[in-house]
Amino acid sequence: MPETLGSLGEVAWFVLLVAAGTAALEGYLYFHLRLFGRKWFLPVSLILFPALAVLACAPALGGQAAARLWPWFLAAEAAASAASRYLVKGRHYLPFMLLAPAFVGLALLLVYPFVFQAYLSFHDLKLSTVLMWKNTGRLPFAGITQYVKVFTTSPLSEVSFWALLVRTFVWTFTNVALHVAGGFVLALLLNNAIRFKGFYRTLLVVPWAMPQVVAVLAMRGEFHSQHGFINILLSRLADASPLLERLGVGPVQWLTDHPLLTCTLINVWLGIPFMMVVILGGLQSISSSYYDAAEIDGASYLQKLRYITIPLVKPVLMPAVTLGTVWTFNNINVIYLVTGQSGGTEQADILVSAIYKAAFTYNRYSYAAAFAMVVFAMLFAISAFYLRVFDAAKDER
Amino acid sequence: MHDGKRARGMKGTARNLLIHLAVIAAAFVCVYPLLRMFSVSLRPGDKLFSADLSLIPAGASFRAYSDLLRDTMFLRWLWNSLVITTATSFMGVSLASTAAYAFSRFRFPGRRSGMLLLLASQMIPAGMLILPLFLMIMKMGLMNTYLGMIIAYSVSSLPFSIWILKGYYDTIPRSLEEAALVDGTSRVGAFWRVVLPLSTPALSIAFLFNFTAAWNEYLVARVVLFSAKQYTWTLGLFELQGQYITQWGMFAAGSMLVTLPVLAVFLYSSKWLISGLTLGGIKG
Repeated sequence: MPETLGSLGEVAWFVLLVAAGTAALEGYLYFHLRLFGRKWFLPVSLILFPALAVLACAPALGGQAAARLWPWFLAAEAAASAASRYLVKGRHYLPFMLLAPAFVGLALLLVYPFVFQAYLSFHDLKLSTVLMWKNTGRLPFAGITQYVKVFTTSPLSEVSFWALLVRTFVWTFTNVALHVAGGFVLALLLNNAIRFKGFYRTLLVVPWAMPQVVAVLAMRGEFHSQHGFINILLSRLADASPLLERLGVGPVQWLTDHPLLTCTLINVWLGIPFMMVVILGGLQSISSSYYDAAEIDGASYLQKLRYITIPLVKPVLMPAVTLGTVWTFNNINVIYLVTGQSGGTEQADILVSAIYKAAFTYNRYSYAAAFAMVVFAMLFAISAFYLRVFDAAKDER
Repeated sequence: MHDGKRARGMKGTARNLLIHLAVIAAAFVCVYPLLRMFSVSLRPGDKLFSADLSLIPAGASFRAYSDLLRDTMFLRWLWNSLVITTATSFMGVSLASTAAYAFSRFRFPGRRSGMLLLLASQMIPAGMLILPLFLMIMKMGLMNTYLGMIIAYSVSSLPFSIWILKGYYDTIPRSLEEAALVDGTSRVGAFWRVVLPLSTPALSIAFLFNFTAAWNEYLVARVVLFSAKQYTWTLGLFELQGQYITQWGMFAAGSMLVTLPVLAVFLYSSKWLISGLTLGGIKG
């Protein structure tokens, strides 16, 4: 166990390092946002911070290289000090100091990777150039060739971009539609005054509550052609009734013949509980007086559903549908876990899982980056469309 | 009048019965794979692939569990996951708690765009940033280490955590902090001694959310970790299930061991998680 303790120490050291970095950041901000008015503010900050920055860079870059960066640090610090002394003057210092660590974290680990991905997409990083890049940091420039390749060649060995695109839309639409429909039906059922409601609700959210990896892998096992219960059930049905057998009921080679259908079935099973819970929340917030009034007017069940339930659930449903669409569009997990191992099929891949496989099974890094940028642009358009249509972001509190 | 009511009562009972039947059928579909996993985990080795559908198989034993714990590195995988997950959740919640306070209590330039930025970052699918993160981790020489995983995970749940915490802070009356300010504490003191202690429920939910997200993660772990000793449990289980179908019993046993606590925690906290989700969604 000493080895385990060693890596634990490493983690503790890292957490401390992050804490120290945060403290340094806060100290820097405090100095600029609170002490900007002191007489010694400009000279101290102009000497202290560039020197500290050089010292901080020295271990990573080497002393010489770090010292050469000094004028840049000085210029940056001069700009920052002048801005804080004459422009910002300490206004809103507290919220900015509270926000800084989180936003620096997001900038380093969310924004920078994104920018880096954009950079990669215009260069040529693949298995043969990755070692050179790792050692020297240099990459051959490739212009838009990677983007051209996205549309003209196949990300994996067989399927083309356009086939993937169509498949992605079919996948997203089918899944979200089935999630909403299934969720709606279950929520309507649960919204009655029945016994054991809480118990049923608990059982119904099990697919959502299970760790997704376990749920998908377990379901994948159940779609196995011989040992999975689905085929066991189907073959028993066929044995029991010749009529059904004549109608074509029998074991199916799920994973090899119908991978996309298998993934869809698994994902529908996984996704219905979330929609059910959201819709149920919406249903429960509808005041019963609407239904009473409709009752007096003699409205039928379908009319009540059409004119009361659906319009009133819509504000809750729409954000959930937006989320659900984005999640489904991006669902690498289900598809990769079902078809991902060596020799797995490509017939179920959607855009995002193709990117993942192109990057990590085929090591086409730059190509995958360009592909990801294209998909990101599409997602952005879709999200903007959703937000515009349903105006989900209007209420800013 | 009486007859009408009784007829309605009869109709109501029949309707209720139908509803119960439908819900039970749906619940069965939802739970059956879990039951079946339990059943497979109890199967004796020679009957692993029988077409038996009974819940407790003939000759049930806990052999698969003891084999799993003895012959594989399952405990080690759990430990790896635990270390990585705890460190990330701790950092994520600390960062989120102060940022959310700024959004909840202060008006400052850039507030609105900052919050929109958070929302937009939720639209960037995590899956699309795996490649640059992977390359960054490789460049830093942190492949196959805890640190690489922690770095990759640490901010992924940050926007969501900020959203739920902000929502919760909004419900805490400002008068409490004002009272503390009158008593002579600083703004930071009021946040630390008044708001944070009152927000324990929301903080634990944010922690839990961070924790489950990292605990169940698979795709990043797949590319960053490559030696079995460093695997998280998700990788370990995939290996058990993927490569050798003969280890199905052990896979099922491991799945049960991982699922039961997660299930318990989820069911316990689901009310909170859902209100957080819908809150973030609606107010977004």
